[in-house]
Amino acid sequence: MSAGPLALVALIAAAIVAGAGEGGSSLRHLYLLPALWAALAHGAFGGALVGLLAGFLQAPSIFSMIERLGLSRPVVDGLVSLTIPLAMGLTVGRLVDQSRARGAQLRALLEIQRSLAGETTFGARLAQVASLTRRALGVDRVGLHLDAGDGAPLTASAPDGSGAPDSELSGSATPCRRLTLPLDAGQGPMGTLVIERSGDLGVSTRGAAQALALHVALAIENARLTESQRRSAQELEDRVTRATQRLREIDQAKSEFLSVVSHELRTPLTALQGFSELLLDRDVPPARARRYLRHVQTESQRLGRIVADLLDLSRIESGRGLSLRREPFDLRELVECNVEVFACQHALHRFDLSVAEPLPPLCADRDAVDRIVKNLLSNAVKYSPRGGRVLVQARPAADRPGLVELAVEDDGIGIPAEALPRIFEPYVRLAHPETATAPGLGLGLSLVRALAHAHGGLVEVESLPGKGSRFRVLLPA
Amino acid sequence: MRILTSLFGAERGARAPSVARALAIVAALAALGAGAGRAAETGLGAAGGIGHALASASVQAGFFAGGWVVALDGREGWRGPAARGASALVVAAQAARVSPAGALAYLLVPLVLARDAGPWRSRLERMGWRPPDASRAILLGAATGTFLGLHLMIAASLTLGYAVGVPGASRYLAALAYDVGANALTAEWLFRGALFSALWRRWSFWPAAAVSTACALVRYLLDPALPQAVEAMAGATFYLSLLGLACCALRAWSGSLLPGYVATVAFFAAYRMLLV
Repeated sequence: MSAGPLALVALIAAAIVAGAGEGGSSLRHLYLLPALWAALAHGAFGGALVGLLAGFLQAPSIFSMIERLGLSRPVVDGLVSLTIPLAMGLTVGRLVDQSRARGAQLRALLEIQRSLAGETTFGARLAQVASLTRRALGVDRVGLHLDAGDGAPLTASAPDGSGAPDSELSGSATPCRRLTLPLDAGQGPMGTLVIERSGDLGVSTRGAAQALALHVALAIENARLTESQRRSAQELEDRVTRATQRLREIDQAKSEFLSVVSHELRTPLTALQGFSELLLDRDVPPARARRYLRHVQTESQRLGRIVADLLDLSRIESGRGLSLRREPFDLRELVECNVEVFACQHALHRFDLSVAEPLPPLCADRDAVDRIVKNLLSNAVKYSPRGGRVLVQARPAADRPGLVELAVEDDGIGIPAEALPRIFEPYVRLAHPETATAPGLGLGLSLVRALAHAHGGLVEVESLPGKGSRFRVLLPA
Repeated sequence: MRILTSLFGAERGARAPSVARALAIVAALAALGAGAGRAAETGLGAAGGIGHALASASVQAGFFAGGWVVALDGREGWRGPAARGASALVVAAQAARVSPAGALAYLLVPLVLARDAGPWRSRLERMGWRPPDASRAILLGAATGTFLGLHLMIAASLTLGYAVGVPGASRYLAALAYDVGANALTAEWLFRGALFSALWRRWSFWPAAAVSTACALVRYLLDPALPQAVEAMAGATFYLSLLGLACCALRAWSGSLLPGYVATVAFFAAYRMLLV
């Protein structure tokens, strides 16, 4: 409490006493000045204290007037002037207090909004809001309970960790007031704001709490929306990043594919070119010429297969699909023929064939099924060591009635689990030191899948790295 | 909110009849004692002082017992402490009648109260029977009572012509002992401790303080010892209202009855210097 207003009161009292000593002096109105000063500087408490002091100083002269003049007009005037400093000090002081409280609330609101927009966890931000609300309202405890929608509600309190006051304050000398307000931003209650104070919870505090509850609800709603937007943006960014990464991988795969295709095309072309030049430029004996021509035929067939694969891939990627000529044929004969050919070409591998009896005839495109078998056998040989075992099975699928199962199993390097989802995609060739030099475009399995799907069938794979792989094609009988 | 109010209301409703019944018993006994004292005062002639003392002690005992009833919510436990306090008041009043030094017996009353309050300490804390939160509250209480008392002395002597002085050390000390052991004690115990504390739990500060101060004011205005002159009544209203409100504020601020008790004692210590 500043000494200024009190000194001014004393000065005015001294002036009145030294002057006329008469309570009816017009100087008594000067008491309003220190009361006003104190009210503006210290609010209702200061204004009331100085106003009360002014009243006390005037009281002796007013009492003597009452005794001398009875209830006369000057006495009434004196009584009014006795109470005016107190009334004015209180009124102006209350207005000052309310104005300061309002300012503090607005500042608190700004801080609340700023804290809710922070980067910390939502729980930590909520605790900060509780602390700011407590400070703004000048109450003992603040609790925020938010409906999280799922699971336990989110709660925060200030001071941190303060519990329910009932047990603590029921025997206290000062009663504890509690006010529970809904947090409603216009879309239904999202939680509650609980404030507690020892002593009175005045009308102004209750009004301020209601206003604050509304603003806190709006701020929380905004924070939630911002959080949601931030999450969505993050998800979107992640998706874009993943898509970009995927595109990079595809781009890289295509580059690799072009390189491999060039290599794969150049090898038979070089052979064709070399043998044709030999036949044209030199006088080659007939036996050797026949051998050269067999090489030319083999390489041209290889070139044809590559071109056919590329054409099929182009057709699949453009969405035109594969044209099939379905006709019944004997799968056993087709499988046996392919196994024989591969066994001849890869004498170091052991080929086992298991065909069920009876095997129903397959109604499919024979060439397409032939390519499926060749691709699977080629992969099995390519990704298994020399001397490895390749098992080929053809039988009705036990777990899928109406389908015929064609399985090719090897005991090769296997496929890592994380690579399994990608092996049926085009241009994919798994990097492995043992198979890095193996020929191929990375199209075989994608063509197998496309051909199986075109027949209304499917492809499954089981693999253990280091143990081998088993590819299973299921085609409608 | 409505549910909470309803629950508290139900609790109050269940408790109210026992408190009212106990208060009625206390009021009846106090009235009986005061009536008997009045009758004795008029009927015993020279020994009528016994009756006067009995009447005065009965009223104070009624306030004292009423405070116990409210403090214990009308439970059975109020009878013993109330009876012992009332007995101490009656004994002190009779002793003070015999000799001014006998008024020192009034100092027994706070001791009896302190002894009886022991088992009920946790319950009596609700009404402020505890040390203040800050020791400066006692100083503030003393300053408030002294300021009001001095202002009363100045105003009464300068404007109303009352003389200021000590009529005699023994008489002054006897009056002071009465204030310490009966007047201020019962006022704080009943009006601030029991009444204001109970009302403040239900209402906000100002209504509770206004009602308890009004009740205390009525008690003093009806006291036959107060001069019946208009200016004395007006002065009593002015000062006792301020004193009552100040004591309520001290009780609310400090959580204790002690600062208000000190203020009341200080005020009456000054008041006793007025030769009315």
